[in-house]
Amino acid sequence: MDFSHQETWLHHINPSLKLLILVVLFIQILMIHNINFLLNELIGMLILYLFFTGHPSKRLVLISLPFLLIFLTSSTSMIFFGKGETTWLHWGLVHITEESFTRGLHLGFRGIVFAVLGVVFALTTRPVFLFYSLMQQLKLKPKFAYSFMAAVRLLPLMAEEMQTLNHALKVRGVQRKKGITGFYHKLKSYSIPLLSQSIRRAHRIAVAMEAKRFSEAKSRTYYYRLGFSKYDGLFLIYLLGVTMLAYYMAVHFPYFSTTDVRYL
Amino acid sequence: MEKGLKLTDILVTIVISLIFGVIYKLWGPLYGVVATLGLHIEQLIYGMWFIAAVVAYLIIRKPGVALLAEVAAAQGEFIFGGEWGVATLIFGLGQGLAAELLFAAFRYKRFDMLAASLAGVASAIASIGIDFYYGYIGDLALWNLLILIGTRLLGAVLISGVFAYLLVQALEKTGVTNLVRPASEEDYRALG
Repeated sequence: MDFSHQETWLHHINPSLKLLILVVLFIQILMIHNINFLLNELIGMLILYLFFTGHPSKRLVLISLPFLLIFLTSSTSMIFFGKGETTWLHWGLVHITEESFTRGLHLGFRGIVFAVLGVVFALTTRPVFLFYSLMQQLKLKPKFAYSFMAAVRLLPLMAEEMQTLNHALKVRGVQRKKGITGFYHKLKSYSIPLLSQSIRRAHRIAVAMEAKRFSEAKSRTYYYRLGFSKYDGLFLIYLLGVTMLAYYMAVHFPYFSTTDVRYL
Repeated sequence: MEKGLKLTDILVTIVISLIFGVIYKLWGPLYGVVATLGLHIEQLIYGMWFIAAVVAYLIIRKPGVALLAEVAAAQGEFIFGGEWGVATLIFGLGQGLAAELLFAAFRYKRFDMLAASLAGVASAIASIGIDFYYGYIGDLALWNLLILIGTRLLGAVLISGVFAYLLVQALEKTGVTNLVRPASEEDYRALG
């Protein structure tokens, strides 16, 4: 699979800082109950996604297809079954009100904001750099970071093993049973070999690492050194700017009259 | 004897977690598709997102493993571009802590189906707690909220309790768990 892309300024942000900023942003967005404010924030994040990840637009469209699903799963229950006063439609159990509708939309957009941010992070951060940075800037213990990196490297092996298993089961003529027991058997015939092989492999790697004197020493050298750059400041300024502009526009040019979607 | 988790424990936990991280990632679209059926049927499969903590703990049986596993699986889902983004990390942390506390309450001495199911329930409760802020679920009609809570708890028991326990039991037959578990009382008695 081809996953080539261009590097943009988002790639050069310190990964730990990027992660921390996203967590702070997550909490900030949870505090937004004004749908106008949220919609403006969404536009700000979409700009990052559409123009600054360095990935070809075809791939971006493909990745964004599940966003629609996120929107639906996050919003439908609230739209149909949420509390509210101004009834629009009452049909059996379904009770759509103006309040529940805007609250549902708010949840849908919130889901998309998080999805966009998460995907932007995933598309612009190399896992290896993330873990090196976590060790260097946030003092994550090396045994956690290196375990993670080793585990990420094992994933392609597992995919290959899955193929082999598939072929082996076919060659041996394993019959597929129907129904829920059949599903359970199928699940077991894949997951048990896969898990047990992975555990054995992980165990061997750990033994090998210790045999090669992988240690918990405080001072160690790193193959990659990660620091901070002007792009970190740029990212912060962009997000602050978007947040302030989003708030200003929400107050002065609202799309919806509702300013708090919660049920009071 | 070094205290806490050793490199082997951590590496094995994280490898298991990343497998579940991949499953967590694939579970997102599935959850979305099932959700279109309506009336919170999708909550029955929500329990899959609690399974890493339980499975890893049942395999390795050490303090801290459940929390590490759930956080690592969430981190995995996140770096593979999971649809819920950063929310995954917060939910993972909450769910992992809840499962960890539950196992701690049993003083890390129970590894049966009941403990596994209760850990699933604890994770489910943690996720529901976060959902009050994240999903405004307190603003759902009461009957609907109760269905959501009920189905999520049931799914947690079925998937991260019963299924996780059966999975680890099947794994034990391969002998692989002996590699990574600490020596138990019985082992010492067998030596004596």
